[in-house]
Amino acid sequence: MLASRLIPRTAVRSSFRSKTSLPTVVSPVSRWRRGYASQSEEKDLVIIGGGVAGYVAAIKAGQEGLKVTCIEKRGALGGTCLNVGCIPSKSLLNNSHLYHQILHDTKGRGIEVGDVKLNLEGMMKAKETSVSGLTKGIEFLFKKNGVEYIKGTGSFINEHEIKVALNEGGETSVKGKNIIIATGSEATPFPGLEIDEKRVITSTGALSLEKVPEKLIVIGGGIIGLEMGSVWSRLGAKVTVVEFLNQIGGPGMDTEISKQAQKLLKKQGVEFKLGTKVVSGDASGETIKLEVDSAKGGKPETLDADVVLVAIGRRPYTSGLGLENAGLEVDERGRVVIDSEYRTKASHIRCIGDVTFGPMLAHKAEEEAVAAIEYIKKGYGHVNYGVIPSVMYTHPEVAWVGQNEQELKAQNIPYKVGTFPFSANSRAKTNLDTDGLVKMLADPETDRLLGCHIIGPNAGEMIAEATLALEYGASTEDIARTCHAHPTLAEAFKEAAMATYSKAIHF
Amino acid sequence: MFATRALRQATAHAAERTPLIRFIGKREIPSHIDHTPQPHPASPTGSLPANFGNTHTSFSSYRDSAQQHGPLRKSIGSLPASRLGPVEAPKGQYFDRNELPARFRRMPLSLAEIEAIETGGATLVG
Repeated sequence: MLASRLIPRTAVRSSFRSKTSLPTVVSPVSRWRRGYASQSEEKDLVIIGGGVAGYVAAIKAGQEGLKVTCIEKRGALGGTCLNVGCIPSKSLLNNSHLYHQILHDTKGRGIEVGDVKLNLEGMMKAKETSVSGLTKGIEFLFKKNGVEYIKGTGSFINEHEIKVALNEGGETSVKGKNIIIATGSEATPFPGLEIDEKRVITSTGALSLEKVPEKLIVIGGGIIGLEMGSVWSRLGAKVTVVEFLNQIGGPGMDTEISKQAQKLLKKQGVEFKLGTKVVSGDASGETIKLEVDSAKGGKPETLDADVVLVAIGRRPYTSGLGLENAGLEVDERGRVVIDSEYRTKASHIRCIGDVTFGPMLAHKAEEEAVAAIEYIKKGYGHVNYGVIPSVMYTHPEVAWVGQNEQELKAQNIPYKVGTFPFSANSRAKTNLDTDGLVKMLADPETDRLLGCHIIGPNAGEMIAEATLALEYGASTEDIARTCHAHPTLAEAFKEAAMATYSKAIHF
Repeated sequence: MFATRALRQATAHAAERTPLIRFIGKREIPSHIDHTPQPHPASPTGSLPANFGNTHTSFSSYRDSAQQHGPLRKSIGSLPASRLGPVEAPKGQYFDRNELPARFRRMPLSLAEIEAIETGGATLVG
């Protein structure tokens, strides 16, 4: 037998051809193919969640040549941001602003308008068109970059294997050498008020109300609450914001900017109850009753509304993920514990986005997604957590990056301040949109930029310049000596830098 | 004359402002990266749980928890050869398949099988 095995290959081939009686068939492969018990090949990377963190990681992984699968249960990619967050809210914010402006701000511009009516259904349709266009765009990018997309709910079977309950029925499983958890976050419910997304709503319900409520109470004066409160206030609702802290915009917003934002929003008709806590709520009657009290107690009051928006924050979303099957742990606030390279306790499982540490912002998740793939592929990634911008898309917009004045004071860090108001900016003047200012904080000795805070038109776009300056350690003089086009709102940014290191020209 | 010009130029350059922002050049991956788990920069506690990551301090401690077709044991390394017992296979166990009765051995390969395996089935077509 051994001798026969040693026959030269060509001889074997010729003898085989002459003697064989095997029929020549068109497709004999199936007869010879060995069957395997495993359901699918092992992927280089499996990502659970197709939100901003997950889909960006999937595309980047595809670009880096990894075999990647992305599991998403919503049936549409883009996660909260694209489907029920940033994108639809910006559509409503933009269109409600236009409606409000046409109603209240045309006479001084020499424009006479006739009967202006709101078509809420049409406004919602415009929002849905934007959303569906963007989510389909991601599916295209998946195909372009060779990403396998599974529509279903993923949960860990063990450290390497994920079971997927498919949306269309049935079940499959995928194995990954690396796994990324990017399951995002959900709105934190308010104890005692059951969310029905009709009368007691989260930001998701606030994006698709069927009619403009007469009275809307917003619990929580953070960015989400103020943005959605602005939308419905512009469309005609009487909006009251109840906030536990003594300032709106959350703790990251500079106090001076926050006060100005509150003043301007109040001018637009939004009422504020700061330093106030909601004790209990009752949604059983025709209107919803909220018992509120001052944060310190002693000033009880009853508020009523047709709709209550619960915007007290978001919490990591890991339910049904089977973290325990992979031996993973979450901290006391439900965040998956990771190290500086996004690794969990099991080093091949990484975690990015809202479901872990850091601010719950889409652009932070994007940065982490790219960095996590670079850690997998190259062993090195970069995210600067000190330079993540925040934007509130009200009108005027509020945007900031770096440290604020109260943080610098608390840490005893010396600083100098420079400000420039939009009322002295030529473009803002021509636009008849002059509310707000640019504020810069810099090191008094080196002049290095420490933080930038803007309230005003286009603040969200302008903050990119401050972010770049901060990332590269620029001084305010570096900014001020950079030529800015005239007439632009960005000149206010340059002038604020001039005011910080020397003096502004136009103020 | 030239000395004056040089002096003038030097004075002019001395007054020049040096930007704080610098061109850092093409990004390169550092040659040495410490991959031992460190707390995440945005971690609220600034620390990692005690049992975080595969932090085996020695090969020996790694072997304690390593798995390969079941748990790996350190017994061979830790025991003297005299205490490991005989090297023969225990009764009823065999080192090689060919020591088993003929019916458990592999079937001899036919020429047709060899050819099909070597060519991936290609010679069967046409």
